[in-house]
Amino acid sequence: MKKRFLTLGAIFLLLLSVLSGCKSNDNQAKVIKFADVGWDSIKFHNAVAMLVAEKAYGYKTDEVSATTPITTQALISGDMDVLMEMWTDNVSTYEKDISTGKYALMGTNFADNKQGFYVPRYVIEGDAKRNIKASAPDLKTVADLAKYKSVFVDDEDKSRGRIYGAISGWDIDVVMNNKYKFYGLDKDFNYFRPGSNAALDAAFTSAYEKGEPIVGYYWEPTWLTGKYDMVLLEDAPYDVTIYKAGKCACPSVNVTICTSNKTLEKAPDFVEFLKKYQTSSVLTAEALAYMSDNKANYVDTAKWFLKNHDDLLIKWLPTAKADLVRKAIK
Amino acid sequence: MENILEVKNITKIFGFNTGNAVKMLKSGSDKNQIFKKLGVTVGADNVSFDVQKGEIFVLIGLSGSGKSTLIRCLNMLYRPTSGKVLFNGKDVCKFDKKELRKFRRNNISMVFQHFGLISNRTVMGNVIYGLEVKGVEKQIREAKAKEMISMVGLDGWENYSISSLSGGMRQRVGIARALANNPDVLLMDEPFSALDPIVRRDMQFELLKIQKLVQKTIVFITHDINEAFKLGDRVAIMKDGKVIQVGSPEDILENPADSYVEEFVKDIDKTKILCARHVMVVPSAFVKPGDGPHVALKEMKANGVSSVYVVGGNMRLIGLLTLDGAMRARNGEVSMEEAIIKEIPITELDVTLQDLLPVAAEAKYPIAVTNEQGQLIGIVTKASVLSSLAG
Amino acid sequence: MNFDWITQFPDTFKLNINDSIDQFVNNLNRNFEGFFDIIKNIVLSFLNAIGFVVNLIPWWLFVIIIFVLGWKSSKKIHKGIIYAAFLLLIGILGLWELMYLTLIIVIASVLISLLFGLPIGILVSSNKKAFAIVRPVLDAMQTMPSFVYLIPAVMFFGLGKVPAVIATIIYAIPPVIRLTSHAINQVDKEMVEAGQSFGSTRLQLLTKIKLPQALSTIMTGVNQTMMMAVSMVVTCSMIGASGLGEEVLIGINRLEIGRGFTAGISIVIIAVIMDRLTQGWFNKEKLAKGEGA
Repeated sequence: MKKRFLTLGAIFLLLLSVLSGCKSNDNQAKVIKFADVGWDSIKFHNAVAMLVAEKAYGYKTDEVSATTPITTQALISGDMDVLMEMWTDNVSTYEKDISTGKYALMGTNFADNKQGFYVPRYVIEGDAKRNIKASAPDLKTVADLAKYKSVFVDDEDKSRGRIYGAISGWDIDVVMNNKYKFYGLDKDFNYFRPGSNAALDAAFTSAYEKGEPIVGYYWEPTWLTGKYDMVLLEDAPYDVTIYKAGKCACPSVNVTICTSNKTLEKAPDFVEFLKKYQTSSVLTAEALAYMSDNKANYVDTAKWFLKNHDDLLIKWLPTAKADLVRKAIK
Repeated sequence: MENILEVKNITKIFGFNTGNAVKMLKSGSDKNQIFKKLGVTVGADNVSFDVQKGEIFVLIGLSGSGKSTLIRCLNMLYRPTSGKVLFNGKDVCKFDKKELRKFRRNNISMVFQHFGLISNRTVMGNVIYGLEVKGVEKQIREAKAKEMISMVGLDGWENYSISSLSGGMRQRVGIARALANNPDVLLMDEPFSALDPIVRRDMQFELLKIQKLVQKTIVFITHDINEAFKLGDRVAIMKDGKVIQVGSPEDILENPADSYVEEFVKDIDKTKILCARHVMVVPSAFVKPGDGPHVALKEMKANGVSSVYVVGGNMRLIGLLTLDGAMRARNGEVSMEEAIIKEIPITELDVTLQDLLPVAAEAKYPIAVTNEQGQLIGIVTKASVLSSLAG
Repeated sequence: MNFDWITQFPDTFKLNINDSIDQFVNNLNRNFEGFFDIIKNIVLSFLNAIGFVVNLIPWWLFVIIIFVLGWKSSKKIHKGIIYAAFLLLIGILGLWELMYLTLIIVIASVLISLLFGLPIGILVSSNKKAFAIVRPVLDAMQTMPSFVYLIPAVMFFGLGKVPAVIATIIYAIPPVIRLTSHAINQVDKEMVEAGQSFGSTRLQLLTKIKLPQALSTIMTGVNQTMMMAVSMVVTCSMIGASGLGEEVLIGINRLEIGRGFTAGISIVIIAVIMDRLTQGWFNKEKLAKGEGA
C-alpha cells in the first residue's frame, strides 16, 4: 500500500513539473537574454540594461554565461538576445556578420578604452610607503622590456623572463604574441598564456599584493586597473597597416552593442533604448571603482550609477519610462 | 591434574555504555534485558572455569551464548571488560604488548571455523606463518612445517595454493599451522562446523588421533552436542553469556543442572557419543591356554557365563572358549587348542556405539575390547549395549 | 506582522563571510610566502626531474616501449600493437611534443598522489577518528569546483605547472586514499584474527596479510587516481599549464572544433593506454599467483 502511494506521488510530482515547465515556455518568449562573457564591465552594463528592461518595459530578463565566440554563434541563431560589449577588433568574423545581416548592430557602447602590456607603477617608480624599490626605473616602452629580463624572471625557467599574454584563443592574443616577437623579446622572455581571465587576474593580484614585478597583457576599463595603479607601456603610434603584426600600439577598440534579429521583433521598444545606449570608458571605470570600494554587487552599482547620472536616463528614455526607472531605484 | 588455564569472573560487554551495563549485570539483569535497555551486547557474564592440562575442554552453546566471545578472551583477541585469565598462574589480561605477543607466539594457538588461511599463500606458506612471524630461520621453519603437514596427512601438498584444497584439507592446514608453533594450549573455534557431516566425522577422529600423539590442552567450541560429548573430557554448557554447568559428559547426562540443560542434552544421539569404553565391563572370567577344559568349565559355572576369554601372558588376548567347546574338549572330541575360537569380534576403546551396534547385532559372541598392545581390557555384550542406549 | 520570512530566507539570518575569506586568503598569501615558495621549489624540482627523464626518450623508443608493455601486460601481442598504433596517432596529429608536456604534469601529479595517498590510506584504515576527520575533507576535495582552489593556488604558487600539479593532486588523491583504506578494512576478518592470534606485530599484520589481500582494490584506487589526474588536464590549462589541455582550450575559445577534438582524442588515448597498462599488469600478477576466487 505504502509503495503504491509513493509511486503515485512521484508520478504526480513529475507531471506537475512538466506542466509548469510547459507553462514557462510561454513566458520564455518574453524573456530577454543578456550575454555574460566573463569580465566585470559587461556585467555592470548588463545590470543597467536589465534594470531598464524590467522596470521600464516590464520584460523578464536572464543573464547567460558564455565565451565571446559562443555568444556570437548564439546571436546568429537567436538563442542570445543582447551582447552589451562586442569588442569588435577581437572578433574576426564581426565585419562580415554585420554586413550580411546575421545579427543587428545597435550602436557604440564606448570606444575610449585601452589595452596592451601593463606593469604596476611601483616597478617603475618604487613605493616608499610599502618599502618597494623601483626595479625598472627606465621602463617606458614595450621595447624597453628587453633590458629587464632579470626583473621579470620566470620562476619556472630562471634564465629567462616571463611576459603574460592574452587569454588563449582571444584574437588580441595573436597581436600581442607578434608584438613580443617583433621587439625581439622572444630572445630572453617566455610568452606565457594564462589560460583564463581569472588566472590572469590572480597572477596580477598576487604579484601586486606581494609587491613583486609583473608584466602582462591587460585592458581598461576593468576592476583591476581601477583598483591597482598600473601603467600601460608605450608603443609606436597606431597604424592600421602594421597593427596586426604587433608593431604599434593597440587602438581603442570600438565596443558596440549587438542584438540578434529575433530581438528586433520580440522587444522593439527595448531595442530603441539599446540604440541610444552609450557610455564611456571613464564612466565605466567610475562604476567599477564604486563597486570595488563599497563592495557592492552589480545591481546596487547599477542603481547608484543611474541615480548619479540622471542625464543619461533623460538621453536614453522617453519621460514616462525614465520616471518608472527613477521610482524603481529610489 | 594441574590447571593450565583458570578463567575467573570474565565479563565482556560490547558497546559504549559498559559502565551502566555492568551495574545492571550486578543487579541481576540478563543479556536480553540489557540489550533492550542500553543497546549493548553482553558477550560473557561472570564466567569462571578451569582447564586441566592435557584435557579436551569443550564449550557448547547456541548462537549468542557467548562461547565465541569467551574463547577470544583467552588469547586476548577480545579484551575482557573485567575478570582474569590465568595461564600457569599468570594473568594474561595484564600482559603488555610484548608479553602478549610472546604468549601468542609460544603458548597458545588458534584454529578457526572458516579456516582463517591466507589465500595468497601456499599450504607451506600458511603452515609456517606462526614460525615466520617469530623469526625462526627458513630452513628450520620449513622442516617443522613439513613435519606438521605430514602429521595431518597432507604430504605432497606443500606447494599447492589454498584455493585448490577442499574444506577438510583446508582445516587440516589450519591445524598444522596451529601445531607448528608447539603451543601448550590449542583453541578451536567451531573448527568442523563448516564441513560436510562425513568429513566432520573423519576430522573428529583425526583430532583424537593427533591428540594421542601431541597431548595438547584443547579448548574446543561447538554448537553440536554430539560432537561436544564425543570429543570432550569435560564440557561447559553456556547460555546468554553464562556458564550453566561444567562436567564430564556422563555427569551432565546423569545430573543436568536445570531444565535448560535437560532440554539441551535431550536430543543426544547416544550411539554417536558413547563408546566401547563407556559400555564395557571388565571380564571376571578368563583362562590361560595351559588350563584344561575342566578349569574352564569350573570358571564358567562359578561366574554364571557361557563363554570365557583365553588370554596369554600379560593379558594378551588369544581367543574365546564357549561352554560347548569346553565340553567337547573334555570329552576328547577336540583338543583344547582347537576348541579356542580365534576369530572373534574385537574393538577399541574409542569406537562409538554407532559403529558397534551392527557388530553387536550380528555377533554370536560378546565383543572383546583390546588396547594397542593387544591386551584384553574389557568386553562389550549385546545386553550392555542395549541397556546403555535405554538408560 | 511581517510574514515575508515564510517565502524568503530572512535577511537578518544572512551572514556575509565572503570578505573574511578574501582577507584570510590575502593574509596567507602575504605572510606565508616563504612556506609556499619552499613547496613550489620542491614540486618544481620534481617536475624538472620527471621532465628530464621523459624528454630523454625519443619518439620511436617511446612507441616501442608502449608496444612491449602492452604485449607483456596482456600476454597478447595484438594489444601491444594497438596501443603503439594509437600512440603513434598522437604524433601523426602533430601533438607529440604537447603530449610530453601533458604527460610530465600527469606523471608528477600521480606519483605525488600515490606517495602521500597510500600511507594516508593505510593510516586512516585503522583509526576511526582519523577517518572521521579525513573523510569530509576528501569529499570536499572531490566535489568542490576546481576553480575555487585553483585560483588561490595560482596566488600562492604563481601561474604554470606548479599550481596545476597541486590542483591535480587535490582532485586525484581521494580515490587512492579511500580505496586503500576500504581495501584494508575489507580484508577477511578471520584472516586478520588468525594473524593476530599467532602473535603478529601490527606491521607484520599489515605487510604479511592486509596489504597482499588488499592489493587488487588498492590497484583500483591507483587506477582511478590516474584517470582523475588525466581528467584535470583541461582545467589546468586554464591556469597556464601548457600541453594538450591548452590545445583544447584554444579550440574552445576560438570555436575551432577540429583543434579541440584532436587534442581531446589525444587525451583520451593517453588515458586509455594508462588504464589498460596498469590493469593488465595487475591482472598478470593475479594470474601468476594462481588466484581463482
